[in-house]
Amino acid sequence: MNSAMKKDNLTVLSEFLHKRENIDPARVTPEASLEELKVDSLLLLELLFEFEDRLGVKMPQDIPRPKTVGDLLGIVDKVTAGNGV
Amino acid sequence: MTSARRVAVTGLGLVNPFGGDLPDFFGRMLRGESAIRLYTREDDVLRPLSVPAVRCANFDAEAALGRSLAYTMDRYSQLGTAAALSAWRDAGLPRTQEAPRNDWGVSWGTALGGTLTFESGYIEMLRGRERVPPLSVVLGMSNAAASHISIQLGLGASSATYSVACASSAVAIGEALPKIRSGEATLMVVGGSEAPLSYGVVRAWEAMRILALGDEASSVRACRPFSSDRQGLVLGEGAGAMILEDWDHAVRRGARIYAEFAGCGSTSDHDHLVRPNVDGQTRAMRMAIRDGGMTPDEIDYINAHGTATREGDPIEIAAIRGVFGSRSPAVAVSATKSMHAHMLGATGVVEAIITVLSLASQEAPPTAHLDDLDGECAGVRHITGGSLRGSLRAALSNSFAFGGSNTVLAFRAAH
Repeated sequence: MNSAMKKDNLTVLSEFLHKRENIDPARVTPEASLEELKVDSLLLLELLFEFEDRLGVKMPQDIPRPKTVGDLLGIVDKVTAGNGV
Repeated sequence: MTSARRVAVTGLGLVNPFGGDLPDFFGRMLRGESAIRLYTREDDVLRPLSVPAVRCANFDAEAALGRSLAYTMDRYSQLGTAAALSAWRDAGLPRTQEAPRNDWGVSWGTALGGTLTFESGYIEMLRGRERVPPLSVVLGMSNAAASHISIQLGLGASSATYSVACASSAVAIGEALPKIRSGEATLMVVGGSEAPLSYGVVRAWEAMRILALGDEASSVRACRPFSSDRQGLVLGEGAGAMILEDWDHAVRRGARIYAEFAGCGSTSDHDHLVRPNVDGQTRAMRMAIRDGGMTPDEIDYINAHGTATREGDPIEIAAIRGVFGSRSPAVAVSATKSMHAHMLGATGVVEAIITVLSLASQEAPPTAHLDDLDGECAGVRHITGGSLRGSLRAALSNSFAFGGSNTVLAFRAAH
């Protein structure tokens, strides 16, 4: 369940970045740096909003600032599983 | 003032409802061609709109700005930034940032800012959603267009936005004049943008009972300034930008100079929120002419504020007659809102661009649909039927806002 979810969320992320910033989905790997993918503070807000919408969850106000794609997906997984951050 | 620097207009840019370039737009103005059409809007939440309006339907924000930038902007910023980039190109300025441009700035105008962003937030909430998109603040803020322009063009001097209702971009242009004259700034990107066709804004203007009515067939002629059967104003969206530049700087880099931005006059009626005032308008025109080191005898064309309201049009003509006296019948006047409508915070710059192009081409556009002049608006040389060709030495562009704020821009032919 968890790994299937992770794969889905990675796809959501790569599709979003492709649509918005024309970023090659092949570059969106768990190890990739968000900064190198041009994810600034505003785009991160939009990504969190996108995940909230798709997954029907509410991201807490005080999430740590993720550095990599994997960090971000980890936060999304924890919130989705109801474990907090 | 003798040591003050002169100010050149070296670049012009528009996002206009015809969808073509600057010469195309100006050619249509000269031919008296109206861009006003019936505008309808409806969705699942609010009752449908149907009013004559001007919309830049062909504007493709992604093509003009790139997808990434377009997504971070309200429509008013998209229109404004596209117009500014167009003026920048027109002025022959490079996008590369080889040297710091800390004495180049932006002075922008908008009456409403990101109204559409906030309205779409309300519509989402009416649909039952608890939240609005996370960029709503930075999309909706009234200085967003100026900030985007400053970032895109690397302008390090002041980035200020003026919100003075229908005079917003005229004020923004006027406020740049002392900056260049004094040497504080070498170059200023000036102008304004507006995207006012939201439900709330259109309904608000309807409620004031000064919006012109029209259907599919009649909308094109809905705005008839100075006409005896005029019935009110028409709202429009759009944007315009001008590059203002220290004259000597422009000459040194071999820039094309369209006209000289000679003077500006700003006054307040201090009288009434919506009823215009002859004295306030007269003082603004006189101040602009004096500030430009001119006399009224040199003014050959006035682009009037001319919104086509019952009350406003005769007052403006009375003010013009007050300034020009016995010469009034020789002063050419036209109200181009009859064609591009009232773009609120953007209208001042769009009309200033038309005024500058009139001086540059020595040909001024008519007031469209002026077949039956109201006797109360007589006494000046109304341009009707077609354009006016002739010697145009200097010209005024009038902007008179709700709230009683008047700004008049004075331009002089470059040659």
